[in-house]
This record gives sequence, C-alpha cells and structure tokens, in this order.
Amino acid sequence: MSGRAAAREGARAPRPRRSATARRSAAGAPRVDLAVRLGPLALRNPVLTASGTFGYGDEYAHVVDVKRVGAVVTKTVTLAPRAGNPPARIAETAGGMLNSIGLENVGLERFRREKLPRLRALGVTVVASIGGETPRDLERLLGALAAEPAIAAFEINFSCPNVARGGARYWAVAGRLERTLARLRPLTAKALIAKLSPDVTSVGDLARACERGGADAVTAVNTFVGMAVSLDDMRSRLGRATGGLSGPAIKPLALARCHEAASAVRIPVIGSGGIMDARDALEFLAVGASAVQIGTANFLHPDASLRVVDGLRAFLAARGLGSLDEWRGSLRPEALAEAPRQGSR
Amino acid sequence: MSVAAPAWRQTAGRVLAQADAGAGHRWLDLEVDPAFATPRPGQFVQLLLPADASPVLLPRPMSVASVARPRGAQRLGFLYAPVGAGTRALAALEAGAMVEVLGPLGRGFPLETPGTPLLVAGGRGVAPLLFAAQELARGGRAAGGRRPVVLFGARSRALLVGLPDVRRRVAALGAVLHLCTDDGSAGRRGHVVGLLERVAAGLAGPLVVHACGPHAMLAAVARWALAREVPAFMAMEAIMACGTGVCRGCPLPRSAGARAAFDPVRTPALHGNREWAMCCTEGPVFAAGDLDWERIQ
Repeated sequence: MSGRAAAREGARAPRPRRSATARRSAAGAPRVDLAVRLGPLALRNPVLTASGTFGYGDEYAHVVDVKRVGAVVTKTVTLAPRAGNPPARIAETAGGMLNSIGLENVGLERFRREKLPRLRALGVTVVASIGGETPRDLERLLGALAAEPAIAAFEINFSCPNVARGGARYWAVAGRLERTLARLRPLTAKALIAKLSPDVTSVGDLARACERGGADAVTAVNTFVGMAVSLDDMRSRLGRATGGLSGPAIKPLALARCHEAASAVRIPVIGSGGIMDARDALEFLAVGASAVQIGTANFLHPDASLRVVDGLRAFLAARGLGSLDEWRGSLRPEALAEAPRQGSR
Repeated sequence: MSVAAPAWRQTAGRVLAQADAGAGHRWLDLEVDPAFATPRPGQFVQLLLPADASPVLLPRPMSVASVARPRGAQRLGFLYAPVGAGTRALAALEAGAMVEVLGPLGRGFPLETPGTPLLVAGGRGVAPLLFAAQELARGGRAAGGRRPVVLFGARSRALLVGLPDVRRRVAALGAVLHLCTDDGSAGRRGHVVGLLERVAAGLAGPLVVHACGPHAMLAAVARWALAREVPAFMAMEAIMACGTGVCRGCPLPRSAGARAAFDPVRTPALHGNREWAMCCTEGPVFAAGDLDWERIQ
C-alpha cells in the first residue's frame, strides 16, 4: 500500500518508520534512495524544475550539474514560436512575484533543431512541456516530439494564466481534459503529465479527469491568477491586467491543492507552488506528492533544485529513513479530521 | 552569432563599506571571489541578500560602477538609491555582511567602437560611465589616446549624484566634464541633449555616444544620435526576475529596422525574438537604432 493510500484510508503508522535500509547503513554514511517512478518515467530523485523557470535546460548547465536534477521540465513549447506579452512581465509582491510572460518560446522546429541535441549531449532528463490552444495542437506537438530520444516524458501545460486562448480557463473543464488526454495517450508510451491550474472549483475533480483520460501523473499546481496596481499611474503593474502569482506567498494554497489532488487519484502527483527549500518539499511529499517542482527559487539560486535534493537526502538520513516511500504521505491522518480537505462537506 | 558558454557564476560577496554618495544615493563596495569574471562597464550583477536581511524575494539587478583588483582580491563598486524595500535593506547592511552575487551579466558598452567617446550620464547613470571612462582612458594610452568627454546632467545640482567624486575621477583621467541642469543650478541650463549638441559641434572627427540614465533621457539622446548618424549605445533598465534570460521577464521593443533585420538563426534564443529583446541578455546596452523608443516607458 502506498503512503498516499494509507493516508487516504486513515490507516496505521502515523509516523514513518525507520527502515531496514537505513539501519543497515546507519553505521556509515547514510544511504538514502531518492528514486521515484512517475508511471513509465523513472527519476533518480523527485526534484524537477518547473516549466518556465529553468529555460530549456541548457542555459544553466555551466553552473548547475543538470544531470543531478531529477528532471528538467522545459519552457512550454508551442507549434509556432510565440513572442510573448508586452512589458511589464514581472511584478514583485509580498512574498511572491507575478509574471505575465505569455508563453514566449522558440516554437517546435527550433526547439527540436537547436535545443534537443544540446540537452541530449548534456545528459539531462528532459520533460518537454507542450502547450496548445486546442486538443489538435497538442496532438500535432506530441506526434512531432514523441519519438525524440532526448525527451523522457511530456508535461502538458493545461494551466497558463497569461494567454488569451488555450490558457488555464479553457482547459479547466474536466470533460475536455479527459477527452484530450484520451486522444494523446495512444501517441506515446512515454509518461504524460498534466499540469493543472489552482484557480478551479476542484483540483481533485480535474486530476480525476486526467487520470481517466490516461495521464501518468498530474502536476499540482501552476501559478495563481493575481493582480497588482501601481498607485502612481493607476495601471496594472503588468502589461496585461493579471499575471500568475508564484513564490512563498502561494505555498500554503498550493499545498492544500496538492493534497486534494493526491487524495483524489491513484496516479502520482507532482507538487508545485512556492517550494523554496527541502523543508517545503517535504511538506508536499508528506501530503501525498510523489515528486516536486522547483520554480521561482531558481531565480534566486540557479542550483535551487540541487539544494533541495541534498536537503531531502540529509533530512531523510537524519530521520533514519532509507527511501522516499517511507516519508511520502506520512501526514498524520488524525490531522485530517481537524482540517477537512477543500471542497468536502 | 555564436554563443560561448556564459562566464557568470553565483558567489558570495562581502560588504566592505557603504557610504553616502549624495542626492539620496549610496556607494557600496563589495569584495567578491577573485575568480569572479571581471565585469565590463555596462554589465550588471544580481545581488541577493540573505532571507533574514531582506523583506523582498528576488535579487536586485545592479550596474557595476567600478572594479578594483588589489593584491589578488576583487572589489566591485555600486551606486544605488535606497528607494524600495530591497535597496533599503541593502543600505542597512554593515561592513562584513554577506550577500550573494550572480554575474557578470549582460553585454556592456562596446568601448572599442571608433570615435571620440561622448559619455552621456543622467543622475545615477553616471556610475557605469565613470567605469567606462576609466577603461577608455586605460585602453587609450596604449591605443594612442582616446580621452572621453563626460556629459553629466540632472534636474538640479542636488541630483548630480556624487558630483565631487565625479569631478575628481574625471580630472584624474585627464578627461573633460560638462555639466547641465534643468534649472541651471549647476553647469549649462537645459537638457543634456542641448549640451550634447553644443559639445559635439566643437569636436572634430567621428564621435561615439555611450549613455546611461532615465529612459526619457536615453530616448532623447538616441533620437539625437540617430538623426546625425552618430553611433550610440544606451544602457537600459528593466524589472527582472532571473537576470539570466531564462524567465523572459524583461523584454524591450525592437525598432522596425531591427525587426526587419532580425535573424532567428543568428540571434541566440536567450536574447530574444523578432518582437522583443531581453534587457538582461541581449542588453542591457543596446545600439540606439535597435530599440523602438516610442514604445519604451
């Protein structure tokens, strides 16, 4: 039984137990197995970079040992290049930042021609993020990229808050997600990950729709739609009225939605939203996430994801835990009775 | 255009000293690792304070105002105005405080461009240009003398940031300093473009302009230079998140000419697309003709 299932069914073991693996190695250097599977995707550790915060994966290679990152999720790629939104695209707010990038990207052809060979040479585990305005767009992207040996898995961006068409609002419909994933599923045996918006009635319902459609995992969550006004000129501080809020400000919100998603599905959930360090990541893993994504933290420290990997290993070793499975879903079930999950009752 | 592996790194920096620079500005001296690639004038760094020393989340882009390399060490100087929460927290740091420095970032002034260098500064924009003046004067001795002419303007005398220091440093380089203020409280009365026109008229031979200051001033200088076909390079500012090109957060609009000439194969993807140039990677210094000054705020 997975830790997540145990938490859902209110089963035994409120605390993770010391493992045989850890006991064996307790005398020497702690050995902690961070490996994780997301459907067909096997990762050396559960720490991914969030799409849009780490370029295409090669830009930081001179300062980050990108092979050590669990996986790099690329900037979202669309069929045609996109120029992106007018400035301002960034506005810092209390404990977070708004962005209105608008899916600026080099487009499918240049991604394939220029980026994939470099990523393959670097040995990066690549999760290609793809975005489209229609299910047909996504079919064409996936069809074009499915056989690329440099790509280990796909994350489908169903949740961009900053585009007029094909953004979070368009995709926040359970039936559309399910039907779209059902059309994409036959196109590849590689993992399909659905990235969800938090600005929905129920992340759990959308996660279930993705599971029914054949997704191997869901990422919960993308940025929250937010806004900031300049009192100097009474305009939005962004070029468009609204943007996507990220950073520490959203962590409690994202954690609740991650917990909701993890409670709703049997496929793995990748937690995302305001994770700045290993302790933040441990919270997401404790509420049922199988892996995590590091986003805004990359803008402070390009090696933020590796700091989280090292921090996870050190934390689990200090607790005498030999693997992530012993931590995942370890939230005490009695705590849930006091804090009913969002959308219930 | 081929892209070499970037030289920037993130390293620790130690505050050596901070001092009042006048007009509400501060001068910061920072010691960084000697292995930190030496910044060029016009380049910038991302300065990140420890989380417990700053209420803001993101690092702050800071133009490098001086570089010194005493006895194998490396010291970087910065001129900044503590006007926001992040820069106020920076101003509160005592000598010995540690920060993180990511850089050097972006492309600096192309000081090798031939011609008599006119360095046009508005307010605190003087800082990278003093650094440029130093580099020009140093290269000048070997290359047969290219002493820059420094033009320094502000709304009033009180806003000519660090004026005594500017006078001293310009004099030490054997360069000429011209001042102007909108209210006439120092130097010539009027806008820096008027001063530029007058100074340029008195110089023989080809000219090259390097400018830094408020965007409205840079737009005026750019129009002046474009109308006279004087090569001109402008150091721009933008709100940034990463500073390294990955977040795509700091676009500046390309001019019609630059859009027409845009070559997606020769332009590194990190720099920008046909519509937008990233301030952090393609800039922060741009040729005047490459930007659409009508659309720059």
